[in-house]
Amino acid sequence: MTDQVQKILEIADDELILGWRNSEWTGIAPLLEEDVAFSSIAQNEIGHARALYERAAQELGTTADELAFDRSPEEYRCSRLVQLRLVPDWAATIARHYLYETADEERIGVLKQSEDAELAGLAAKIDREEAYHRMHAQMWFERLHDEPRFKAALDELQPLLDVRGEHTPEFATLWEEMTSVRRSLAGATW
Amino acid sequence: MDAKEQEFLDYVQGGGQVETEDWMPDEYRAKLIKFIEMHGNSELMGVLPEREWILRAPTLQRKLALTAKVQDEVGHSQLIYRVVEDLGKPRERCLDDLISGKSKFHNVFHYPTKTWGDVGVIAWLVDAAAIISQKALLKCSYAPYARIMKKICWEESFHILHGRDVVLTMMLGTDEQRELVQEALDRWWGPLMQFHGNPISREEDPMYVWRIKSQGNEEARQQFLDGYVPQIWELGLTVPDPKLRKNEDDVWKYSEPDWDELKRVVTGHGPKTAERLELRRTSREETAWVRRAVLAEAA
Repeated sequence: MTDQVQKILEIADDELILGWRNSEWTGIAPLLEEDVAFSSIAQNEIGHARALYERAAQELGTTADELAFDRSPEEYRCSRLVQLRLVPDWAATIARHYLYETADEERIGVLKQSEDAELAGLAAKIDREEAYHRMHAQMWFERLHDEPRFKAALDELQPLLDVRGEHTPEFATLWEEMTSVRRSLAGATW
Repeated sequence: MDAKEQEFLDYVQGGGQVETEDWMPDEYRAKLIKFIEMHGNSELMGVLPEREWILRAPTLQRKLALTAKVQDEVGHSQLIYRVVEDLGKPRERCLDDLISGKSKFHNVFHYPTKTWGDVGVIAWLVDAAAIISQKALLKCSYAPYARIMKKICWEESFHILHGRDVVLTMMLGTDEQRELVQEALDRWWGPLMQFHGNPISREEDPMYVWRIKSQGNEEARQQFLDGYVPQIWELGLTVPDPKLRKNEDDVWKYSEPDWDELKRVVTGHGPKTAERLELRRTSREETAWVRRAVLAEAA
């Protein structure tokens, strides 16, 4: 696997897992507006994951769904940050959202400069949607930045951002559940 | 009823529509709030049977479609609660009454979602039953409600397509997948037949009298059966009602739905009622500080 494919999978895994974690707020967020916002962000992220898996699948001779669901848990390259189940802690959720979107802007920026025009185009498309996630994260950062619980969450979560290849116990549970329908019947299409 | 109220009643019965600022009888306003609030509650509670399946959705496409569907539903509840708010009942009070059990939500959202087969059947048939009721609200005498129903019906029609596709894919799959769908249909048929309510004549239904609804309960159920039973059969599924058939007069006959079950369920005694309201109650408490922070900022 080339470094580039490795990098694409890393981002795709982050987006897929964070997409789920964000959608966990659907129906139970502090405000209905945030239900809608977080599930919209989740949709974008899952959509980005799909586009990136498709791209990696071309190189690896497989499919996006197989990459998303049929690898063993150890093979996922997602950051420890996105694995954590944070519901119902809104302060920690916003801290993660802010840390993630800030870091994501940087790496998507690098992909946008790629010599591979197709990949650069995909990154630009992703970035256009991520711009709204950043605005949303920034708005909440400004609202909460004086809250002690928010500051504490930022300090606690920041070091997890770059931890990869190590999985939380929560990730094992998540993977089991995420792949349960797919693994339930051999040879079925869904 | 005084002359002014009678004039209002004649006006709405003649197809007239009312705006928020127009005069309206207190009884009409109270009925509107009750009806629209229950719709808002149902959209919001309708999220809960499906949300956990976003994680379990077996392909990326299904995951995206389900996330979009669930998001639509929260968006609908937001829109609908705004209409209720304009009529004089703030959203926070609607949510209080929902959690305390004072207000109601639709019967179908009190049941568990056991398998991926249920996810397909809910999106296809529960949404189909719902869209029949909602299309009849496009002519609602309260114009602001009728207007938002356009957007809602448009989005619901995509849910039905998604649901039908989930079901169709499983029916074209393995025997076990077909069994999952049949079992889900068996579970959901009772609640689906109860969905449109008991067959009181529309003239006795206050919601029809005030032209909040434009059709009676039995008309809605007949329309559902007419539209969907042939499709259910075509897919090779069996409807779990031996008496179900269409008579020569084009009217569907069926076994009497369990109206006691409907009453039990909508009064808060469904299999999942307590658990789902508890989830809503605890999450509301746990996030109360966020609303306080936002309100302090707005002040």
